[in-house]
Amino acid sequence: MTVVPAQTGGGGGSSGLYDVLELVLDRGLVIDAFVRVSLVGIEILKIDVRVVVASVDTYLRFAEACNRLDLEAGPRKSPGLPDLVGEITESGARGKSKGALSGAAETISDAFKQAREEGQGEERPRPRRSTSARKREE
Amino acid sequence: MSTYVYGIAASSHPSLPEDMGGVGDPPCPIRILKAGELAAIVSDAPEGLRPKRRDLLAHQSVLSEAAGGGSVLPMRFGSVAPDDSAVTEVLAERAEHYRERLTALAGRVEYNVKASHDQEAVLQRVVAGNPELRALIEAGRQAGGGSYDDRLRLGEMAAGAVQSLEEEDAAELRNLLEPTAEAVSVGPESTGWLANLSLLVSRDAAEEFVAAVEEIRKSHPHLEVRVNGPLPPYSFVEPGPAEPAASTTSTATHEE
Repeated sequence: MTVVPAQTGGGGGSSGLYDVLELVLDRGLVIDAFVRVSLVGIEILKIDVRVVVASVDTYLRFAEACNRLDLEAGPRKSPGLPDLVGEITESGARGKSKGALSGAAETISDAFKQAREEGQGEERPRPRRSTSARKREE
Repeated sequence: MSTYVYGIAASSHPSLPEDMGGVGDPPCPIRILKAGELAAIVSDAPEGLRPKRRDLLAHQSVLSEAAGGGSVLPMRFGSVAPDDSAVTEVLAERAEHYRERLTALAGRVEYNVKASHDQEAVLQRVVAGNPELRALIEAGRQAGGGSYDDRLRLGEMAAGAVQSLEEEDAAELRNLLEPTAEAVSVGPESTGWLANLSLLVSRDAAEEFVAAVEEIRKSHPHLEVRVNGPLPPYSFVEPGPAEPAASTTSTATHEE
């Protein structure tokens, strides 16, 4: 893959393709005299997350996540926390959004999904907490 | 046969990709169309072209290859001209404009930066810095979870705090990276990230840029920062939508 040269540096890494394909599809020069192939179904990136976050369901899940926090742990003491916290937070903070977005998201062509998997496959393993890894897989 | 267009370069570009495959299955061979001082990187356009992974990748690979050797104006994916002569006509018609853009972008690359919160770390951080929120959590726990309304209030406060931290971090990220860039283009928002910035960086300043990203990763451990680049300058092909870095600095400061 020539997409992501190593110049992003030591911790650089990259979840790669998905992020780049967004640019390929959404930016770049457009010339009126040329036709563009139909991109129906993959214009998913412009949905405003704020609309989704402000819902009762989200609040309740945030509350649940808070209630599972270890209050004695400092803000940086994350690695030792049980996975459960992360899981709940995921399904809370992001889960709702995912639900609301899924209609659009499911129409992403295989292109994006496959690209994303491919990007991950080629990504060098990083010392990430399991919660974030899970999030990216969603 | 219609013509798929990947990008525009100067005809003096030292290494235009000619031995590559482009979009289509099997890949259509890349060809170079020249018109005066300009050249277009093209191939035949396959029937029924759709934004499939393979084709998106091919588009990007061809441009990446071309941009490695010199200045290129990348087309958006899926630009199809009726035939070769339609392409060279456009090159001739707008030659001055494209030459100006190629010169403006010479020696510069795009980096796309997306940042998101580590949800767990961010909740810890928000609670630690907000006594009221912490008190609500403790009260709720003592009351065996609290009433529906209690939980709603707690959740709303936590969600709000996380969201303002998202905005704060987005502004800060931009402020920290902007000095290394010549222009910034803000990408669309989504649930996947709290900041989506494309930065136009001089090749000479690339090291500085990468170092700035590393610095942010260290100083903001609750942020996950993803960097893609160097890329062809997709977000900077037209002068309009992207703002010069200097003027955006002041905007970002006001936002704080």
